[in-house]
Amino acid sequence: MRLLRRLAHWLRLRANDADLAEEVAFHRQAIERDLIAHGHSPAEARDAARRAMGNETISREDARVVWLWPRLEAAWQDARVTLRSLRRSPAFTAGVMITFALGVGANAAMFSLIDRMMLRPPALMRDPATVHRVYLYRFIDAREGETGGQYARNVDIARFTTSFSRTAIHTTKQLAVGVGADAREMRIGIVSASFFDFFDAPPAAGRYFGAAEDSPPAGAPVAVLSHAMWQTRYGARNDAIGSRLQIGAVVYTIIGVAPEGFVGLWPLRPPVAFVPASTFAASVMGAPWATTYGSAIGLSTIARRRPGVSVDEATADLSQALVQSYRAQSAADGSSIEQRLAELRPRAFAGPILLERGPERSEVAKVATWLSGVSLIVLLIACANVASLLLTRALTRRREIAVRLALGVSRSRLLTQILTESMALAVAGSLLGVAMATWIGALLRTAFLPGTEATRPAADGRTLAFVAIVTLAVGAFTGLLPVLQARRLTLTDDLKSGARAGTYQRSRTRTALLVLQGALSLVLLVGAGLFVRSLRHVRDVRLGFDADSVLVVDLRMRDVKLDSAQTALLRLRLLGAATTVPGIQHATLEIAEPFGGMTSWPMFVQGIDSVSALGRFELNAVSPGYFATMGTRLLSGRGIESGDVDGARRVMVVGASMARVLWPAADPLGKCVRVGFVDTVPCTWVVGVAEDIHARGFGPQDRNFYYYLAAAQFRPQLGGLFVRAGGDARRAIEPLRLRLQREMPGASYVTVSRLGELVENESRSWVMGATLFTAFGALALVLAAVGLYSVIAYNVTQRRQELAVRVALGAAVGDVLRLVVGEGLRFAVTGAAMGGAIALLAAPRIAPLLFNQSPRDPAVFGTVTAALLLVAVVASLIPAIRGARVDPNAALRAD
Amino acid sequence: MKNPPDLLPGTLDLLVLRTLTRGSMHGYGIAQRVKEISGDVLQVGESSLYPALQRLLLDGYVKAEWGSSENNRRARFYTLTAAGQKRLAAERKEFERIVGAIQLVLANA
Repeated sequence: MRLLRRLAHWLRLRANDADLAEEVAFHRQAIERDLIAHGHSPAEARDAARRAMGNETISREDARVVWLWPRLEAAWQDARVTLRSLRRSPAFTAGVMITFALGVGANAAMFSLIDRMMLRPPALMRDPATVHRVYLYRFIDAREGETGGQYARNVDIARFTTSFSRTAIHTTKQLAVGVGADAREMRIGIVSASFFDFFDAPPAAGRYFGAAEDSPPAGAPVAVLSHAMWQTRYGARNDAIGSRLQIGAVVYTIIGVAPEGFVGLWPLRPPVAFVPASTFAASVMGAPWATTYGSAIGLSTIARRRPGVSVDEATADLSQALVQSYRAQSAADGSSIEQRLAELRPRAFAGPILLERGPERSEVAKVATWLSGVSLIVLLIACANVASLLLTRALTRRREIAVRLALGVSRSRLLTQILTESMALAVAGSLLGVAMATWIGALLRTAFLPGTEATRPAADGRTLAFVAIVTLAVGAFTGLLPVLQARRLTLTDDLKSGARAGTYQRSRTRTALLVLQGALSLVLLVGAGLFVRSLRHVRDVRLGFDADSVLVVDLRMRDVKLDSAQTALLRLRLLGAATTVPGIQHATLEIAEPFGGMTSWPMFVQGIDSVSALGRFELNAVSPGYFATMGTRLLSGRGIESGDVDGARRVMVVGASMARVLWPAADPLGKCVRVGFVDTVPCTWVVGVAEDIHARGFGPQDRNFYYYLAAAQFRPQLGGLFVRAGGDARRAIEPLRLRLQREMPGASYVTVSRLGELVENESRSWVMGATLFTAFGALALVLAAVGLYSVIAYNVTQRRQELAVRVALGAAVGDVLRLVVGEGLRFAVTGAAMGGAIALLAAPRIAPLLFNQSPRDPAVFGTVTAALLLVAVVASLIPAIRGARVDPNAALRAD
Repeated sequence: MKNPPDLLPGTLDLLVLRTLTRGSMHGYGIAQRVKEISGDVLQVGESSLYPALQRLLLDGYVKAEWGSSENNRRARFYTLTAAGQKRLAAERKEFERIVGAIQLVLANA
């Protein structure tokens, strides 16, 4: 009731104020009239009434305050005063807002990225803290690597563990959805029936598939659509349920629709549909898909810990389950389990549910973590800058503040006003920053998470909450320093001398802020230098092939079943067709793509006990055009030629390192290598040596070796094509795809992509580091320069008189310049020294992210320091010139 | 300006409410009335009267209407509401209890 009346009052605030004024005036006149009636003169009466009433404004204020929330009223007033004063200095306001916007925008964008990659638990997942990703490891070729993509292995893990209340198998694949012209490759979730039980997500329509539909012998051809797919492709119609849709090789019946926002474990690339793991495995592997350990199809497991089971216990349980699984495998294939366990040394790990938080997180995630720290530093620099500007303002307003204090403004009220100002600036800057974050975020996404769902920081609650917290912190931090300064005001001194006299006071706080800015800028610039050089080293690595000119053709057979002879014929037809497309120079068959996954076979060489102990030997089965297509140079001997057909002498070309490691002292040409599971397979003769290639990263490849067989002799069951295009390879993609598609039987199809894409995926973390460190470093430098400039300019204004005296006494322009620039330079040198020390200390931590680059590279440190000092000189030169031009006559007379 | 610093807290509201039991009055009238009845002992200053009236309005104990004064000036007249009546009774009881207690202490302590 009270509240309602209060609100009603607020609505007619003006009218009420007028009422009150009239009422009080009436009261005064009534007193006046009474006095006249008692015989006083009208003038006397008026004065007496005035005296009796006291300050009418105050009594009116007191009366109206009853209705208002006084604090709110004060806050409103502060806000109005702030807005007025900010509008009076638009350059200052704009400068601060842009500074904040850049700082907040960069942080909001980075937060949005980091949040999606490694903070936000999977949407709709029930109690995500108890859910783990299962990581399985084993040693192969004396190196530990991840394993466990087989269906049978994942089933074993579920079967042999007791620590988990539920487990589920999952993966995603890019599969063709639909048939004919409609067919498009989309992301499909391949999950076991139990997967859905991890989520609080009842289907929006229909139902999920159950355990009976997800089990041997072949699973059931049923699929659940994502909500988005249901909306876009089916117009959210109910008759979608029961309709049929081809996904990959299988025609599925749609039985349900997942609810809105359900993306499984894949928020970045949400699947459009979910199909049973059994059905998918059966369709790509054929019997005995459920029991074989031979074929991995990229499956893995998530598991929910039972209450009371610790993470360590869960890890131990998983490890023993993996051992049992190998035991089962040995029992099935009759091999020795002891030998297998000794070789493989299997181990498992219950990791966090978020991939990017686990042991296998991507380089991009690691660099992104660093960069979010960097963006915080940028924000810190921005804050230091703004605090310094506000401090300057507070100093120039000392006299005004002193006057207001003398007039009885309460100190706390004054402080709130300064805080209001910094908060208002922070809020305005943040609003601008959020808009900027949307834009920066889009850039980040296309550059570093290509093909992922768009985000809108402005519409994301978590990002907005983050921005709100940052805004409060920033507003409080930047407001606090001037407030502390204002608290030190001594009324009388300031009133007497004001800030006008030529006393040149250095503010220690401001000096500290400046040095801090310089130091942090230097740290960021060093980071930028290190990443830029790393990236250059990466780009300078001779890969051993021309990734940019080569296109990769993949064959997607779907349900078209060809025998090996038909497959070979089809590939030859495609090879012939490819070379007829304009702009295509060479083409070759291939079965393995560098950076995309290579194939390895056992190998026997006379005089070497165990070839596999020397490293990993990976092969490609190619046709005669291979070396011309890839641009891989032949160092000696010959390449694969058209005469190397089935039945002719079996030939191979080996990489230079492979030749060196197998035959350190002899000429490799003419040597015999037996490629196969037993050492009695016929010889394959080395006919050529090719330059080394990088197919697993850019670093030194001391244990990876590559060789090439003739496809006509090796007769692979599968594989695609490499095609070399002249000019811009991108432009050849579509004509090539259209031409090749004409050769494809039935529902099968080809995909064409750039080999360069695979390489870019690999170098992305350095590109990201170099780009963002440089952007943030440059931003930091600009902010620091502006900060330095404003401080020096302020100091010069303060020292006008002193400078004028110096000029009057005969100081030359050069002397004044040296004086002022020297001051700026001193700040910069101190900052650079501190920043250098910080960067040297942090160096070992960033070293793993660099490439062939010392984190303490003197060249980088030198260049960056020089750049910082140069900027400092320029920033202080501008006010210095103004200071040197002081007309002593005018300046000395002014006061 | 002699305001009632001597008044016990809350007694101004009580005085205003009691005065209004005689019918509608404007602010000046209330002040005059209190002054007269108390034999010039209690002087209600404007700086406390109008906030008090606004508070009573806000709480719904009185309502206000514009009318014309004895000499045809526009003035705001305050009237006691039913809630105000109740409030007066309660306040009065409380006040008498306290005054009685004070007197007991003064007489016997």
